Amino acid sequence: MEQRAREEILGRLRGIPKRAVDHRPDMPPLRERSLDHEEMIATFIEELTLEEGVVYRVRDGREAVARLTEIAAEEGLQRVMISTDEIVASLDLPAWGREQGIAVLTPWDFGDRDSFRDAVFDEVEAGITGADYAVAESGTLVIAHDTNQPRLISLAPIMHIALVPATRMVPTYEQAVEEIYGDTKDIPSHVTFTTGPSMTADIKGKPFKGMHGPRRLMVILIG
Amino acid sequence: MEIRTTLFNEIAEKEIQNPYARAFLKVLPVAIAVRRKAVMDSFPDPNAAQACGQAIRAEVVARLPELLEEFEKNALARGAKVLWARDAGEANEMVLSIAKERNVTYVTKGKSMVTEEIGLNDALAESGIEPFETDLGEFIAQQLKRPPFHIVGPAINVPVEEVCDLFMEKAGMEKTTTDPVKLGYAARLFLRDKFHHVSLGVTGVNMAVAETGTIINLENEGNIRFNKSSPGTQVSIMSLEKVVPTMEDAMHLTRLLSRNCTGQKISAYVSMDSGPKKPGEIDGPEELFIIIVDNGRSEIYGDSVAREALRCIRCGGCLNICPVYAKIGGYPYGWAYSGPMGQVLTPLLLGLDRTQDLYRACTLCGACRDVCPAGVDHPLMFLYYRSKDVEEDRGLRGKKRPWKESRFFGLWSRAVTHSVLWNLGVRLVRPLVNRYSHNGVITTMGGFFKGWFRTRNLPPIANKTFHERWSGLRRKATGRQSGENR
Amino acid sequence: MKKASLFIPCIVDLFLPEIGEATVQVLRRLGVDPLYHKAQTCCGQPAMNAGYRDQAKKAAKHLIDVFGDDDVIVSPSGSCVYMVKHHYPQLLRDEPAWLWRAEELSERIYELSQYIVDILGIEEVGASFKGTVTYHESCHILRGLGVSDQPKRLIQKADGVKFLPLPLADMCCGFGGEFAEAYDYISEEMVKEKVGCYLESGADLLVLCEPGCLLNISGYLSRNHPEKKALHIANFLAGTGGGG
Repeated sequence: MEQRAREEILGRLRGIPKRAVDHRPDMPPLRERSLDHEEMIATFIEELTLEEGVVYRVRDGREAVARLTEIAAEEGLQRVMISTDEIVASLDLPAWGREQGIAVLTPWDFGDRDSFRDAVFDEVEAGITGADYAVAESGTLVIAHDTNQPRLISLAPIMHIALVPATRMVPTYEQAVEEIYGDTKDIPSHVTFTTGPSMTADIKGKPFKGMHGPRRLMVILIG
Repeated sequence: MEIRTTLFNEIAEKEIQNPYARAFLKVLPVAIAVRRKAVMDSFPDPNAAQACGQAIRAEVVARLPELLEEFEKNALARGAKVLWARDAGEANEMVLSIAKERNVTYVTKGKSMVTEEIGLNDALAESGIEPFETDLGEFIAQQLKRPPFHIVGPAINVPVEEVCDLFMEKAGMEKTTTDPVKLGYAARLFLRDKFHHVSLGVTGVNMAVAETGTIINLENEGNIRFNKSSPGTQVSIMSLEKVVPTMEDAMHLTRLLSRNCTGQKISAYVSMDSGPKKPGEIDGPEELFIIIVDNGRSEIYGDSVAREALRCIRCGGCLNICPVYAKIGGYPYGWAYSGPMGQVLTPLLLGLDRTQDLYRACTLCGACRDVCPAGVDHPLMFLYYRSKDVEEDRGLRGKKRPWKESRFFGLWSRAVTHSVLWNLGVRLVRPLVNRYSHNGVITTMGGFFKGWFRTRNLPPIANKTFHERWSGLRRKATGRQSGENR
Repeated sequence: MKKASLFIPCIVDLFLPEIGEATVQVLRRLGVDPLYHKAQTCCGQPAMNAGYRDQAKKAAKHLIDVFGDDDVIVSPSGSCVYMVKHHYPQLLRDEPAWLWRAEELSERIYELSQYIVDILGIEEVGASFKGTVTYHESCHILRGLGVSDQPKRLIQKADGVKFLPLPLADMCCGFGGEFAEAYDYISEEMVKEKVGCYLESGADLLVLCEPGCLLNISGYLSRNHPEKKALHIANFLAGTGGGG
């Protein structure tokens, strides 16, 4: 039955004489393409701050952890879920957690999707992840999800803390997308672009952060 | 979804009196249109950026079948299941059968106009499966059983008191409040519980990338991401024109869609799925179903003018700039699609005969065409539909025009090609019109043109038309010329 | 001496012939000799907009015949010029000889302010008005013909004028031909808002280039704000009153 539907639909579409496709018009390159590294960082910070993301700039991993400690203290964090991507892994947050008396959970602590889901929905106050790219043009984080980067960690908890090496900074979306999708043999099942906290203005046009996703997005930019 | 396109005037006359609707229409579309202009300037050449978007969508329409096949091939290679539905009934049957096989009792849904078009929520509810709209505005509109008021703010016109009552009754809210933020938080808690335990999530699709077999969604709230991350099964439904050739094209359209829709550079979240989750991943769907919906589009495709309606990317830019929409809001358009893009698409999908007002309630001002990032020429389409009524076109279900009107234009065309008849006609009509003139102005013509005369006057037909004055005007010049020795 | 053939649309011919007279006056002042072919009738817009393409085609062919030999055609109606330039080629697409003639004609037909500023290269036409003036951007002129600067420059160069911007200047006034009658309840709200913007601007006078808009806005002013006036640019430049 399904094959019949497909054939009917495509048959009608194919039955029309082909039309020539016009040449794509020229477009000048985006301004961000000509920014240098520091300018890209400044633009990224400005753009994300406009969307009410908070960006902290630190020099190295040690300072990143120190900043994390301050955030945890300010926010009274007691239980967090972390992903196990190479950026987060390089900081040994489980050890940090033990030092700080903060429960640090990882997806590998859970044997099945339901118990992981329960934890990430109800049992943690923040999700801590790395990010694959930071895009200057709009202050956007690009995250490719895989076994070390579950989808829900940056979505379900009320706070999302992203650790991003400054070397991951790119001017526009195209650079990130070329690298992720360039080798079509192996592309991630899920990729997210995040630009600020979750939001809506659906009631009376009044903006509200944290509609379904995190209410707070904090980025620790390293290097 | 109930089709009320034949009630356009009735609903519009009511809405135009509605103070809440008018208050929002004065603010929201204008604010977005202003922001849109500012944010389009982030392109070094906004016109070129728009032209590029138009070219991408022109290519999609020109290459539709091959792009759909390419998309399907690549999506299947990633492990997605791709289903084709000829009409609303088939699409709904597919979703129902997927849900029933998995013993699903409720689904959570992201905002999707095509699911409103096919009436998915009703089909689910009738089968005992409860659908929860999770976009806040859609959630409110759904619970109040209202169509969407605006693409971006489906319930933005609803007074907060009504939202409060609704949430007390249906969303488990315990304390009354009219604070929009507190109301939003109450909705968050209620829907979060649904996300936590859901086993089947339904989404629409903003773009389906042929090159990689990837589906892309834009949102600000995060509800679509939950539908893609929490349940074990994801069903994403797309009308067949949503395909785009490449990832690069998708990025450009993402920029244009965000700027036109809400005046943002990009929505808070963009999510891209290439197949279901991979083995070892602890969240995400085990199964990803992509349903490609036709519902009349492949037939439209045969008409070389009508098919350009398929360029539309549902950005809502036209709604925000339309002076008619600004007075009547989304309800009068009577179906899933409102504003100028609804005026273009709905007649093609439902037939001209029951959507007459949609393409006639327009001054052809062209503001919509000028902002459209996809290159839809709305005024051209409306003139096309009007001509199809006159022709009684069977394919588009054109509706025969009133006899008096046909007769009038028959006579008119005789006169217009014979100036003697034309001017005779003017001389005959003049006394009939001018008998209503008092003190140099006409304030009523009895039963004629009552709409005009309700708030406007008309000058009488001149005692001497320009045509009749010309001889005198020409003589004046000749007299002067001979006096000046040129 | 330069010649320009006048294309006087039906609304002007019947209801606002003073616009035609003012057009003649202004052109003569600028050294242009206007001609007027009495055989002209209508550009066909009403039929086109109502979907009667065969009838609109007949009007198109008649107009092409009437104006066939003129070097330059000028009209105080932008929507009619737009009809000729934009719709005639579409209507006559399947008749190559007529299509050629339509395309050829569209190269030499102009809206009045466009003709004065772009073709004659003149901005000061000897107009004068002591007071503040604002301008409504008619849809077919602005978006159809891309004419916006020209009328504003002509207004600003008039002696004694202070130009004030009109809020939402490019928002449709709600005329739309048949629309004003068939969807009167919407049209009313649109013209009411347009007039509201005029009042808000504080200007002494509203000038515009499109007779249809003028009929609509003046019609509303006459009933509701009789002390405020709207004027066609031809009358404004000629320094003659009238216009509803």
